[in-house]
Amino acid sequence: MNTQIRYDEEHALLRAEARRWLDERFPIARVRELAKSDSGEDPSDWAELAELGWLGLCVPEKFGGAGLGAVHLAVLMEETGRRLVPSPLLPSTLAALVLAQSGSEAQRERWLRPIAAGEVRAVLATGTDAVWGAERADALVTRRGDRFAIVAARAPGARIEPELVLDRTRRSARVSLDAVKLEADAFLPGGADEILARLTPWACLALAAEMAGGADALLQLTSAYTATREQFGKPIGSFQAVKHPLVNVLIGVEGLRSLVYTAATALDSGDSDAESLARMAKAKACDVYVFAASRAVQLHGGFGFTLDCEAHLYLKRAQTTRPAFGDAMSQRRWLAGRLLQT
Amino acid sequence: MIARVDEHEDLRVRAREWIRAHHPGDPGWKLPQSALEVADDRQFRWLQDWQRKLYDAGFVGAEWPREFGGGGKPRGSQRVIDQELARGHAPFLLNLVALSWAGPVILRYGSESQKKRFLGPLLRCDEIWCQGFSEPGAGSDLASLRARAAKSGTDWVIDGHKVWTTLGRYADWCILLARTDEAAVKHAGISYFLAPMKVPGVEVLPLVKMTGEGGFNQVIWSQARIPSDSLIGREGQGWEIAMATLQFERGAAEGSAGGQGGGGGEQVAGLARLAQSLERDGRPALEDPVVRDRLTQFWIEETALRANAARGRVPGLVADRPEALPLQSKLASSEHGQALADFACELLGPAAGLWIGDPHVPLNAEWQRSYLNSFAMTIAGGTSEILRNILGERVLGQPKTR
Repeated sequence: MNTQIRYDEEHALLRAEARRWLDERFPIARVRELAKSDSGEDPSDWAELAELGWLGLCVPEKFGGAGLGAVHLAVLMEETGRRLVPSPLLPSTLAALVLAQSGSEAQRERWLRPIAAGEVRAVLATGTDAVWGAERADALVTRRGDRFAIVAARAPGARIEPELVLDRTRRSARVSLDAVKLEADAFLPGGADEILARLTPWACLALAAEMAGGADALLQLTSAYTATREQFGKPIGSFQAVKHPLVNVLIGVEGLRSLVYTAATALDSGDSDAESLARMAKAKACDVYVFAASRAVQLHGGFGFTLDCEAHLYLKRAQTTRPAFGDAMSQRRWLAGRLLQT
Repeated sequence: MIARVDEHEDLRVRAREWIRAHHPGDPGWKLPQSALEVADDRQFRWLQDWQRKLYDAGFVGAEWPREFGGGGKPRGSQRVIDQELARGHAPFLLNLVALSWAGPVILRYGSESQKKRFLGPLLRCDEIWCQGFSEPGAGSDLASLRARAAKSGTDWVIDGHKVWTTLGRYADWCILLARTDEAAVKHAGISYFLAPMKVPGVEVLPLVKMTGEGGFNQVIWSQARIPSDSLIGREGQGWEIAMATLQFERGAAEGSAGGQGGGGGEQVAGLARLAQSLERDGRPALEDPVVRDRLTQFWIEETALRANAARGRVPGLVADRPEALPLQSKLASSEHGQALADFACELLGPAAGLWIGDPHVPLNAEWQRSYLNSFAMTIAGGTSEILRNILGERVLGQPKTR
């Protein structure tokens, strides 16, 4: 397995810009406000995301995007994951990726520019449940039989019902589009399996990066708390029973970040093991994020169990992101088939 | 940038070809798994000969300055060589303590004459080094050590009892910690010596490891006189130099003269080969879905460890916590190796209970030995528990334990 990492000044600039903007825009109090609201988001955020060029980050330049690659995507997702950004940036990015990778020339011309500009919101729907961002989407890039199609969300026959969800920073809906009549030009060229095969490594990477950001934020949140919270006349972080599990989280997060950027570099270089690396990253992300979140709740003690503590917001995000594009077990089953020759 | 990559590529090819052409093969008798269990003269001479050949070919101390016997090659050269040594399943480098921590310490803290005197011979394996840090009463709490160095004329007179002394029986020199100021507070009274072992008053007694092998020792210093220029750094600077030594020993600081390769996916590939050769419940072990899942977990972990090494070389990706990767590298890799060897023994089933010499023992008990020996890695150079304290305090800002 080739472990090389490419990360230069441009990537560092995107990170610095993203971190600064997200820290300012999404302090935890505002994230909580938006989580309580009906829509779960603020339209002005979407406009700003478009303005920053992040809605078209991986859209080719000739279709109005920034034309950037997997390492940039990993940076942006990691930084948004830190802040639990209440916005369908991720499902929209995945929809744009499907169109960019697999759309016809005409479909790319028609859809990508308005998506990058924030004028049309398209999200990815690989299944019928837990479709992120569907309620307020204009279009859904979705599986239809053994094809993929782009379907207008308000087309006659479309049923999109918001779900009641654990993680209110990421809204989802139950989607039924079977009754929608589609014109021929709604169908993407090629079969659904090949389209998904192209998308999956990128989706695993984006998810793993977002989860790495969340896990890293939890590590900072929890270690800041345990360094100051006192019991028995001492900060609890001085006790090894508290310190050592925190270090176990650290070791997990460090390894996860390394896998994320190794996978991103491999995707950008078109390496043959890119998909294996991206799936390894996703597998590890599932375990590390849930572990980091569970330790965060536990080490915050009685306070950790309350709605006031931030830890549960991440715990819920970790639990609900885990199954997307395959949880750790299903990633490992795929990887075993690739790595272990019987 | 591109020129540098090419330069390493040349070296990589050269090292690979040289190793293929000069690999000494299987001697036909049991080789130790690491420098920690070199216990007989035949093993010692065979390994010494290998390091010499490698040095004479320019593959040991590749980055160290030429004036001290090194190769003067650019940064990153030794890593490439070490990777090729691991890939080519070359024997390990015998003079472990010298190459990977005593030598780098002498380079950083030694006087010009100490560098001139010691570095060349240790690279060529002409002089063997051991380490006199731990004592029966000073393990994790190293600063409570009680060995003493007293001035007598121009000499130092050493009294003390050291343990865990790898290569002690063969060593010519010892990096030795001893107290030079009984009045000073704990850490402040310690000094660091480059002490000769072949002087009167130094007695080396073998310790037997739980594998039944020898290879590490106790060393008793009784009124042993060593010359005044044995001191490295200043009197009382010993603790600082000892901490730097441990950074090298844990692979947390760069500067090794060679032999620190591996971790290149070798372990898990070996485990997969083992699973391929075994049966479980009448079927190949590699078809058992639980075995497959466990193997894949190890594969992911090993890939993450290698990815850590790659990310550690990218400043922009370690900016948030620059010390995290170097300080956790020994901890993470030793615990991974231990878990992996344990799983290999589990896969072996009842055969895991067989030992060297039994006619039916698989692979000459290689995995059983690996598992037992793996505890050397989770204990030596700072236990996993001590390293978790260090990471918690230095990287995560937690208050000190104690």
